[in-house]
Amino acid sequence: MSGFPVQIMPQDDATVAEKQLALRSRLEDLKQVWPWVNALAAEYAFPADTRFAIDLCLEEGLSNIIRHGYAGDPDHTIAVTFSVNDLTGLTFTILDNAPHFAPDLSSAQELTPASIEQVKPGSLGIHLMKKFASTLTYEQLPNGNRLTIGFPVPALEQADSLRCGN
Amino acid sequence: MKLSTEDLEGGVTRVILDGRLDIEGAAAVDLRMNVIAGSCKKMLVDLQQVTFLGSMGLRSILVPAQAVSRRGGKVVLFAPTKMVEEVLTSSNIHTIIPIHHELSSALAVFL
Repeated sequence: MSGFPVQIMPQDDATVAEKQLALRSRLEDLKQVWPWVNALAAEYAFPADTRFAIDLCLEEGLSNIIRHGYAGDPDHTIAVTFSVNDLTGLTFTILDNAPHFAPDLSSAQELTPASIEQVKPGSLGIHLMKKFASTLTYEQLPNGNRLTIGFPVPALEQADSLRCGN
Repeated sequence: MKLSTEDLEGGVTRVILDGRLDIEGAAAVDLRMNVIAGSCKKMLVDLQQVTFLGSMGLRSILVPAQAVSRRGGKVVLFAPTKMVEEVLTSSNIHTIIPIHHELSSALAVFL
C-alpha cells in the first residue's frame, strides 16, 4: 500500500470537531462510508436530507478517485476528514495521492436531454455533487489532490453545545 | 439491494427495488435489470423502498430504460422518496422518463 502523511487541517477557533476515515483505493471500501456518515449524523443530528447529500457526494467523489484517479489500482490510501465549523458548516475533505486531475467544478449546468438515448449513463457523478453540495473546491497538492465538500451546518445550537462540552 | 418483479394487467412488468442503489446495490441488480428490460415493453420501476440513489444507481435504471425504449417500449418511475426524486429531477431524468406517485396515473402512461 502506498501511503502518504495525512495532512490535518489546522483548527481555527470556530472548528468544534474533526474526525477521520481512512480508506484503501478499492470500491468495496466504500461500504465503510455509509456507517461512518450515519454515526456522524447521529452524533451531530444531521437532518435526513443532509445525510443523504453527504452520502451521495462522498460516494461520487471517492468512487471517482478510485476508478479514475488511481485507475483501479487497489493499494493506495484515501483519507476523509470531517469537521464542523460554526462559520463554514459541515466540511468533508478528501485527500489522495493520485495524479492531478482537473474536475470542472463550475456551477452545475442544467442537463436537457431531448430523448432517453441522449443521456450518458455513468456521467452524472460530478453533476450530482454540484447539485447536492453547498460548496465544492479542488486543490492540487504536491503529491496528490484535495477535494473539499461543504454542507450547511444543520443546527448551530448543537455545535455550540459541543464546543461548550455539554 | 433486493429486486422482485410482479406482472400487472396490460402486460406491465413491475420491478420492485428495495434498498440502497449505491455502487454496491447497482452491481447487485444490474444484470437482472437488463435481463428484465430485454423481455418487456412496459416497465414500471417501483422506487418506494429505495433509500439512496447515486450516479451508478441512476445508470442501473437508465441502461435498461434505454433498452426498453429502443424496442418501442415505455418505462415509468413509480413513487420515489423525496431525496431519490431530487436526484432524478436534478439530472432532468424526469423529463424523459415520467415519474408518478399514484399507481393509476403510472399505469395510464402505458395505455
